[in-house]
Amino acid sequence: MKAKTPLWMGSAVSALAVLPAAAADHDVSVTIYANDTALIQDHRSINVTGGRQRLEFQNVSAQIRPETVALAAEGISILEQNFDFDLLTPAKMMEKAVGQEVTLVRTTPGTGAETREKALVLATNEGVVLKIGERIEILRDDGLPVRVIFDKVPDNLRAKPTLSVMINSPKGGTRPATLSYLTPGLGWKADYVALYNEADSKLDVQGWVTLTNSSGTTYDDAKTMLVAASPGTPVETNTWTPRPPRPRMAEVQPGTETGSRERVGDFYLYPIAERTTIANLQTKQVSFLDVHGVPAEHAYEYRNPWLGTAEKPQSAQSVYRFTTSAKAGLGDQLPAGTLRFYMHDKRGEPQFIGESQIDHTPMGSLLSLSTGDAFDVKVHATVVKRTALGDFSWRTEMRYNLTNALPKPVTVSLLQDGLWGDSSITAESQKSKRRSADVAEWTVQIPANGKAEVTATFTTRF
Amino acid sequence: MLGSLPLAAAAMDVTVPREGDLSVTVYRAPDRQEGQLSLDDLGGFALVTETRTVNVPQGDNRIRFEGVADGIEAESALITGLPGAVIEKNRDQAVLTPEALIKATFGKSVMIARTNPKTGKVKRIPAKIRTDTRGRVLVETSEGIEAVHCSGLPESISFITHPDLSSTPTLSARVRSPAATTAKVTLSYLTRGFDWTASYTATLAADQKTMNLGAWVTLGNSNGTGFSSARTQIVAGRVNHETDEVEPFYIPAVLAQCWPTGTTTSDLRRIEEIVVTGQRRDAMQFSVVAPAAEAPAAPAELVKLEQLGDLKLYRVPERTTLNSRQIKQVRLLDRQNIPVELYYAADLVGNTTIASTAARKTIRTRNDTAHHLGLPLPSGQVSSFITGNGATLLLDEVPLRDTAVDEEIELTVGSSPDVQIESVKEKTNVYTRPPFLEGVVRFKSALIDEINRIEIQNATPAEIKLELRLQLPDGTHVIAADAATSTSGGRTLFKLPVPANRTATVRYQTEHISMRPEVRK
Repeated sequence: MKAKTPLWMGSAVSALAVLPAAAADHDVSVTIYANDTALIQDHRSINVTGGRQRLEFQNVSAQIRPETVALAAEGISILEQNFDFDLLTPAKMMEKAVGQEVTLVRTTPGTGAETREKALVLATNEGVVLKIGERIEILRDDGLPVRVIFDKVPDNLRAKPTLSVMINSPKGGTRPATLSYLTPGLGWKADYVALYNEADSKLDVQGWVTLTNSSGTTYDDAKTMLVAASPGTPVETNTWTPRPPRPRMAEVQPGTETGSRERVGDFYLYPIAERTTIANLQTKQVSFLDVHGVPAEHAYEYRNPWLGTAEKPQSAQSVYRFTTSAKAGLGDQLPAGTLRFYMHDKRGEPQFIGESQIDHTPMGSLLSLSTGDAFDVKVHATVVKRTALGDFSWRTEMRYNLTNALPKPVTVSLLQDGLWGDSSITAESQKSKRRSADVAEWTVQIPANGKAEVTATFTTRF
Repeated sequence: MLGSLPLAAAAMDVTVPREGDLSVTVYRAPDRQEGQLSLDDLGGFALVTETRTVNVPQGDNRIRFEGVADGIEAESALITGLPGAVIEKNRDQAVLTPEALIKATFGKSVMIARTNPKTGKVKRIPAKIRTDTRGRVLVETSEGIEAVHCSGLPESISFITHPDLSSTPTLSARVRSPAATTAKVTLSYLTRGFDWTASYTATLAADQKTMNLGAWVTLGNSNGTGFSSARTQIVAGRVNHETDEVEPFYIPAVLAQCWPTGTTTSDLRRIEEIVVTGQRRDAMQFSVVAPAAEAPAAPAELVKLEQLGDLKLYRVPERTTLNSRQIKQVRLLDRQNIPVELYYAADLVGNTTIASTAARKTIRTRNDTAHHLGLPLPSGQVSSFITGNGATLLLDEVPLRDTAVDEEIELTVGSSPDVQIESVKEKTNVYTRPPFLEGVVRFKSALIDEINRIEIQNATPAEIKLELRLQLPDGTHVIAADAATSTSGGRTLFKLPVPANRTATVRYQTEHISMRPEVRK
């Protein structure tokens, strides 16, 4: 292609030379919060003429929140700030040309010959009405091709959303300035890869911070900092909608250890070591954690809702437990994100076995994460009998049948939910403990390819 | 074509095409109901693992992996085997589209090509793109400012510079290598747009005492990317996985909007919209059709099962090609002469009069070796057939849940108009008991018992086994019945035989305490 069209390439180079060179002293730092908010600090040097002057900033985020814009430079005072969305389009061009002259180029269909004439644009309502000499015409009323050539782009039409600041400065000269603003469209979360080794019950965990940019703008060579926090953003109250509660996949006992990472206030910071270009529509990942051989425990858990009775046996959850403690654990606090578990198959290839969401988790916490259903370990819970003993007093007899189709014995944490208030267990086939105020837990051993049964009688208000 | 052009951006880009070993593991949609699979809405996902050979130059480079699935969940991507330090990995969704091309060429030179309608000669005029607002293209030429696609002349834009856009979504890694080297890199990622289901055919013998069970694994790939000669695995069991955080892969069409184009004869259309080009995925409906009843004439090679943690992994015996937008089937199992128990079943709401309804014909067997099974049965759809008199009839299509070894299997194989069940509530007795509480509010309690009759008509020429399940309100239980009772799934169950061409009757009595608060005057 290059060889065929040397002329094109030549003209391209000459045209490019006309463009102003990109500002070399442009320095962007981006601080991204975990809730789709970012603080952009754009350091550049500005050329101040002295007196009143209009400064224009292109390449700011297309989703900029104009009310958060602050421009700081020495010896200037800001008169007003504008964020212009009056964008350059063919329709706007024609609208702004009302009362002005444009050039029409007509092409005769039969001969292909071009004729030119000047026309005055009278109106652009529904159709374009032109005055050519003494005639009034409607543009392309006959459907024939007519090119319209405009002399110039009006000053107030912008090719891109542009931030402009009107300043007043007593004295001129080039000086450094910082433009800062908040923008949505930039966010980050953590992604963890946990490889579980079945033979020795150890986890290898890699952590990546994942940064996404859908703000419509590319941030070149930016100094990037990630903050494990979700500061409150001003949201109009009527747009608030309650989010449905997510199924609880992760259970965490919060820890009390302090990590060694950089902190500001109560927040942990994850600076990205090198300057990076955050392109629009890009997902970027940078490693922040790599720990090998963390002891982990594989367990099964089944949580029966109050009066839960199932037609067919239901799968227990496959659960992995480990700590984020410095001793025998991950030894780090974990920013919120997704933990994906992998396991080697018989050929030694890692296969995905499920994932769990975690919240910002302090160091020293005990995590109990579910990856999905266990195919072979099932629980069949049945309400055997319900008897009303009197006013607000019920006796409920429950039976739980547990089965294990695996060729090895397993231990299941059987949980009965919903024991609110002054409920009690009056009889049970094995001793339970209260996992939390309203949850009873039985630790049930099931032999290889075997069964187990737990029965319990509850006295409750409902 | 693009590869031959000089690269505009980072000169140290290394593009790695797809080659080498490929492995695809397909997972089913975590929350899909058993059964349905539609190519337009595949809610499952896959783990793609591939190896590529990369020539890594010395220093700071960007390695671009082209041809990854378009449904890639970039945050799950893992790249191992790169030399030196991986500084970051990126996934650029900005692919080469007409609009992206215009956006990327903003302020740069292009050529406007106009074709003379008479001579057909093309005239090229250098121009500069002056706007990158979505699809509304204004260019500057030596004559002035013009809008493209508004004059009615055949016009097109030729782009000269090569924008930093790739033809397919691309995963890249920034790598700092101490020396130039050739590395074997393993790339793995999760991708949307896959799903699978098991499609069973249960063929009941004429005597209804045994059945043959066969199954296909039906898997689909709705990605724009195909995977040729891949080692293919399927994972059974429900795994937690959320894909809703991935933004839909959206390629907007370019709309050229001109000035108002109303004329004296037009309908006063305000805006003429010219679709320059666009990509639309045609809605294609693929539903999985029940496979033929007979076992395949030539026995198909079965997938190989292995345990993966708490899941089941099936390997497709040979490398296979998963084309873009394709549904494919591989054989899961074939079992013959499985002993089954045939019975008729009905679910009844207790203490209610219900008109005659047909019973469900059901077969029961156990997933163990004694019943010629004893293998995990992944969830899917079961199409049941009956053979006899040289004909094969479709009986029913029902879902099957994930069934472990040694679990009971019950399959509904249609309803039987020859077995009708009717319930009649005969009598209600109310015994008032003294109030429990004295005070402002007291409770009036009553012991209520109800007597019901169930009538079963058997018009079949054989004795049948019948199982009736009773749904009773909370706190109500059966205190007497003239048939054997047990419980199933927390409900009272009556099991009885009904002789050929006869009527059978079951009477049962229930009891519960009713309490109503009553305000004392």
